[in-house]
Amino acid sequence: MTASPVIELRGILAVRGDYEVLRDMNLSLASGETLFVMGGAGSGKSVLLKTAAGIALPAEGDVLYKGKSLARMSAREEAAFRKASGFVFQDAALWANQSLFDNLALPARLHESSWGKAEVDRVVRRAAELVGYDQDLRARPAELSSGERKLIGLARALVLEPELLFMDDPTSVLDEESAARVPDIVDALKARGCSVLVASAVSEFASRCADSVAVLLGGTLAALGSYAEAAAWTDPRVRAVTGRLKPRAAAAPAWTEGLAGAWVNAIADLGNGKDGS
Amino acid sequence: MLDRIGRAAINGLGEFLYSLGFFAQVLKESALLFRRRQVGFHVLVMQILFTGIEALGIAAAMALAIGAAINLIGSSLLAEFGQGKLMYTILIVVIARELGPLLTAFIVIARSGTAIATELGGMAVGHEIEAYVAVGVNPISFLAAPRFLGVVISMVVLDVYFNVFGLLGSFAVVQLLRPIGFDEYFRSLFAVLTPGDLLSGFVKSLVFGIIISVVSLYRGFAVEGSVTEVPVAGIKAVGSSFTLCILADVIMTAIQYVR
Repeated sequence: MTASPVIELRGILAVRGDYEVLRDMNLSLASGETLFVMGGAGSGKSVLLKTAAGIALPAEGDVLYKGKSLARMSAREEAAFRKASGFVFQDAALWANQSLFDNLALPARLHESSWGKAEVDRVVRRAAELVGYDQDLRARPAELSSGERKLIGLARALVLEPELLFMDDPTSVLDEESAARVPDIVDALKARGCSVLVASAVSEFASRCADSVAVLLGGTLAALGSYAEAAAWTDPRVRAVTGRLKPRAAAAPAWTEGLAGAWVNAIADLGNGKDGS
Repeated sequence: MLDRIGRAAINGLGEFLYSLGFFAQVLKESALLFRRRQVGFHVLVMQILFTGIEALGIAAAMALAIGAAINLIGSSLLAEFGQGKLMYTILIVVIARELGPLLTAFIVIARSGTAIATELGGMAVGHEIEAYVAVGVNPISFLAAPRFLGVVISMVVLDVYFNVFGLLGSFAVVQLLRPIGFDEYFRSLFAVLTPGDLLSGFVKSLVFGIIISVVSLYRGFAVEGSVTEVPVAGIKAVGSSFTLCILADVIMTAIQYVR
């Protein structure tokens, strides 16, 4: 990727107690790129995403958003960063004492204070519709199944149409139909230039959406490359994580509708300078 | 051994300095609360409702009982020494200066201290606090500042309420032992009441309110990721609040009386 990074992690050390969760982590997400962070349980994927999003503070190192350190941002700059970014939590992390509507409306009320009720209502319902949630938004999170909560968590991150999206294991606990919708959403975001950083161990999802792949092993970056490179990695420890990543042309029939779709993707890969074969 | 003591001392000092920084941050955000867009006004109202209004019943019951007990004990003891007139002074000193603020603090610790620490702890475990950060809400401004102000305001008001009911409880007992008029009773009380008594009660309730809210908030925010940490946070909030309130009470009383 030659585009300037939207998010850049420099020499990140993240610790929990005496345990180093991430060590010497250097990673960047280019504008419009979809980067999948893959790794086993406890490899540090979630901490990496939270650190990149400025939710967790690193013990060492720096996180830059468009070249500006998150740690040194003014209140105004941080508000702009929060407005431009969305975060999908692994366990939804909905605010239990608020209705679903209020959960979805808070980002809009916070960052678009000039909007009236009708505008807030419109973006909330659009986000719920986008993720396929058509139930009563007056309910509380406790009344929902974990899958439904996850959908609302996803919708909350999409309310303000972010230009940067962090997704921590976005397909977990979703039913098949809802999980199948997530790659469509990512594709739609990519189509309008959104940069997406995804932590997921689901190789089918990565096969469909990833521009590049990073593999974490025990808190360190074991491999990083374009999707085509990732599909050809041979290191057995890395392959244990990315094992089912297939070269795009081979993976195409599983998710594209017919030959035309495969050609479109192959051409797109060539356009990006990737070896899609 | 020395290594362990040294390490514990450094950790303790580090936590103390961190908690001072947290306190400063809460104070700053509380001062700015009404100027910010993300005003947690609803949280403030709910905190005053829970800490202040909903505690009125138990505060009144406790104050009436304590006021009555002080009068019963004081009248019989003082009468033996021919110092019955000192009853009013003792009522003011014990209720307004000492027991009023302290017992009100105990009520607030038992109800709100545990509630704040466990609620915030639960939110931390459910990643709700991180979710606030992710959308751009400052958790200190939105979650801590309104709770801090709510507890402090409620503590001061509850103390006044406790004093009134404590003195009314005493009046009720007076009616049983030696009936006197309402006017005479309160006129005698106000005759011995000094601005120092009012100031002492106010300062103590203010300090206790600050201690309880900051300790409970700190313990709640300190929960990291395990559900089992939540009740521990509640227990620590109660233990630390009790200890610090009693310590602060002793210091403030010593400042007033030790010359």
